[in-house]
Amino acid sequence: MKAETKNDIKQINKGQTNQYERKGSSNKVWDFFCSVKLAVVIILVLVLACIIGTVILQEKTFDEYVARYGYGLATFFKITQLNNVFYSYWFSVLLVLLCANLICCTIKRWRNTFLQTGFILTHLSLVLILIGGVVKFQLGVKGGVNVYEGKSVNYFLTQKIDSKGKLDYVKKDLPFTIALDDFILEKNEPKFQLVSYVKNKDRQKVLEVKLGKRQRVPGSDYKVTVKDYVPDAELKQEPVNLSDKPDNPAIFVKFFGSEKVAAEGWLLAYDRNSYEDKKQNIRIEYILLSSQQELDKAVNSAETANAQLSVSLSGQTQDYPLDLNKVFKFEGTDYTVKMLQYVHNYGDRRPLGEQPTDNPAVQVEINGPEGVETRWVFEKFPDWDKMHPAKYKNLKITCSGIASTYMAKNTLRIYQTPEGKQVLVYIKDKRIVETMPWELEKRYTIPDTGNQVEVSSYFPSFDFKKEVIKKSDEVVMPAILAEVEGPGGKVEDWIFSGNQYATWYTDNNFALVYESTGESVKHFTSKLRIEENGQTVAEKTIRVNDPLKHKGYVIYQSSYDPEAGTFSGLQIVKDPGIPVVYSGFGALCFGVVFIFYIKPFLRKKLKKEVEE
Amino acid sequence: MSLVNITLIIYIIASIAYIVREIWRSAGTKWVSLGFLILAFCFNLTMVATRSIEAGHPPFSNLYESLVFYACCTAFIYIIFEFTYNFRVVGALASVLAMLILFYATLQDDTIRPIMPALKSNWMLIHVVTYMLGYAAFGISFVTSIIYLVVKPFVRKGEAVQAEREILPRNFDKLSYKIVAFGFPFLTLGMITGAVWAKKAWGDYWSWDPKETWSLITWLAYLVYLHTPLVLPKMNINKSKASVILSIWLLVAFGIVNFTFMGLSYLPSAADSEHIYGSK
Ligand code: HEM
Repeated sequence: MKAETKNDIKQINKGQTNQYERKGSSNKVWDFFCSVKLAVVIILVLVLACIIGTVILQEKTFDEYVARYGYGLATFFKITQLNNVFYSYWFSVLLVLLCANLICCTIKRWRNTFLQTGFILTHLSLVLILIGGVVKFQLGVKGGVNVYEGKSVNYFLTQKIDSKGKLDYVKKDLPFTIALDDFILEKNEPKFQLVSYVKNKDRQKVLEVKLGKRQRVPGSDYKVTVKDYVPDAELKQEPVNLSDKPDNPAIFVKFFGSEKVAAEGWLLAYDRNSYEDKKQNIRIEYILLSSQQELDKAVNSAETANAQLSVSLSGQTQDYPLDLNKVFKFEGTDYTVKMLQYVHNYGDRRPLGEQPTDNPAVQVEINGPEGVETRWVFEKFPDWDKMHPAKYKNLKITCSGIASTYMAKNTLRIYQTPEGKQVLVYIKDKRIVETMPWELEKRYTIPDTGNQVEVSSYFPSFDFKKEVIKKSDEVVMPAILAEVEGPGGKVEDWIFSGNQYATWYTDNNFALVYESTGESVKHFTSKLRIEENGQTVAEKTIRVNDPLKHKGYVIYQSSYDPEAGTFSGLQIVKDPGIPVVYSGFGALCFGVVFIFYIKPFLRKKLKKEVEE
Repeated sequence: MSLVNITLIIYIIASIAYIVREIWRSAGTKWVSLGFLILAFCFNLTMVATRSIEAGHPPFSNLYESLVFYACCTAFIYIIFEFTYNFRVVGALASVLAMLILFYATLQDDTIRPIMPALKSNWMLIHVVTYMLGYAAFGISFVTSIIYLVVKPFVRKGEAVQAEREILPRNFDKLSYKIVAFGFPFLTLGMITGAVWAKKAWGDYWSWDPKETWSLITWLAYLVYLHTPLVLPKMNINKSKASVILSIWLLVAFGIVNFTFMGLSYLPSAADSEHIYGSK
């Protein structure tokens, strides 16, 4: 290919070189088709066409082009066939030119020397591949069909964009029947990954789950150590009392309906302080008061707890009564808040009165210097906004007493003061019916109903002891115990793979999620049987990379039913051009290896011999 | 320190050693720089091997794995060339190139994921290995072209060519050609094995998928490079100008290589492709 090469060859093959100069030097057309200039120009135009063919979406319906590029461009693409570059007339003309060029230059340079082998092979191999391509285009078919287990088909469908630019399916008959005897879908074992997230850098990174290894989270000062791993974990939360200091008082209440325990559970003074039984139409409240005076006032009032919204900003807090659509100003700031609606159970579509008081929430509209933000505020999840995007993140909003907007017919209030005064008040139809002192482990009868109530334990400093138990050795619901080191010191917590929410570090800037990487398919195979005139003529279990061949048709495993896994997607291909193309492939491979490795080697050797 | 970081650092040390060797020009420094590069290569190869064992499949199933292997091939091909031809400066840039590729790998998601059924084939192995060796050779030709273009303006016309055995940067145009000629068969084999594999897995050896189309573009770009030396003399373009044009073309072609390898997800047609890293 290089000038010196020519000379070498001339030297080595004296007497044969003239042939190459003689042939058709007078004919201009012939010269044109032989020239490398033409070759280079054609190749460059092909490159350009290929680029266009990947930049403009190909073989879409006319409507899709209009939607994407507008009517004018869409029409232009259709006329110039830029919407189907690789099967367009002008592309075919290019390929024909290329072929002519290849054939002509090969004929012109043809010399019967061994060293020319590579040149001839590569150029003719390309012609072969192109011819094979034409055969495929003219005589080949490619389509697909879905077969259900136990069923059979004798046709398949091909896709085509018709002359109007619409997607069209064409049914093609097969000269035999394909029966699917069995379809097997094998899945990989579920895999999980530990993902860290640094909020102020907006960076996610997958961490290794390796016991005891302290890992730095790249681009931050956080360090994570996985301290324990349980493949199939269950979280047990056992209530414990940490001390005698009443910092988180809780009582365990049993509610009896005709001698049997109808309901029981913990009521926390500062958190979940009420229980509502809509069937019995009773509400039980646990209220902690700070002094005797307050108690005296409270036991004489049948008022319900006030539903209210609290807004805080940099240490300052303001409370607003639940009053829909009224605009409240946050004094001393530019913010105003407005409550749009409230629910007793977020996401529940039933009317308010029928909703259980499981997840009370208020929808709030905030108006501030940067415009309007609307957010839901949850009574039981006061930190919900920390984990979710909000415009006014510094504005903390909580609500309380939302559920009490629904007033049960009967309310039982269990009062307590730090001095140990304990009073039970029973209210019916907003009137106080009975007031009496209460003691632990004593049953009290609720007047008129025959129901009874008992406070069976009192924990001044209530807490949950989290305990993770291993249910089995299989990877079902893995959990890890992760220790995070950061600006807020060391914090340890269990992270469950089933958790919907991220586990945040104390500074609310760093979070961990232990998530499934998705179940992925390992193998899918179809047990196929080919029938002709009711007789089985071939059988094979096909899988991706291992098709079944019959009568010039090749049947590939291509997809499966993602939902139920009951049908198998088969691809059916017929391409009579394959032998031609593959011989072209073989010739091309050998040709390039010859030109670039064997020929230089031989030339060196021959040269040496000539010199000697 | 992790294996990646060690490897990265040794690549940098190797690069510095090559620059020192260029300045000192003593025989001893040759083995120091080459030694460091071989060491870096060994570490890089270890990364490929351990990853392969850890993942339980050939280490080319995602962009991260492919890049680590690509860096490894670049070092490997350069080392072969250094043994074949006697040149020095190239080593500094070749190490930097390998280092950059490996560094780029560290920015990718390195999660081990189960590989999809279509990727389980021996053809895939040959396909990727030949492609990567081809790409690596083109990387080296990219380096020699840069050096040629930088040195070119300082070479006075008619200056006597030193009769040393070493190849001088002013002759790197010819060297680039030899390197491309070495890499081109690998690219061709990579493309054909890819086609055969596609036929086996998807039923069609060529379907004008963006990845296929762009690998054809890459192949054609180097094909043009290999044929132009036959054309330019006929167009009244003198030899020195022709060399500059060809060297610039190699820079463009290497850009195309990298776009084919990593840039296809930016194409609008990427969404339909089964082939492209990161689109799924
Ligand atoms: C793998 C692909 C190809 C390889 C390895 C290759 C290789 C070669 C070689 C080695 C020569 C010089 C022959 C010599 O010096 O004796 C040559 C010449 C030529 N090639 Fe290619 N070629 C390839 C593809 C093509 C293609 C696609 C075309 C486009 C039509 C083409 C057109 C030409 C022409 C026209 C010449 C003749 C140059 C002349 O007469 O001076 N080649 N090719």
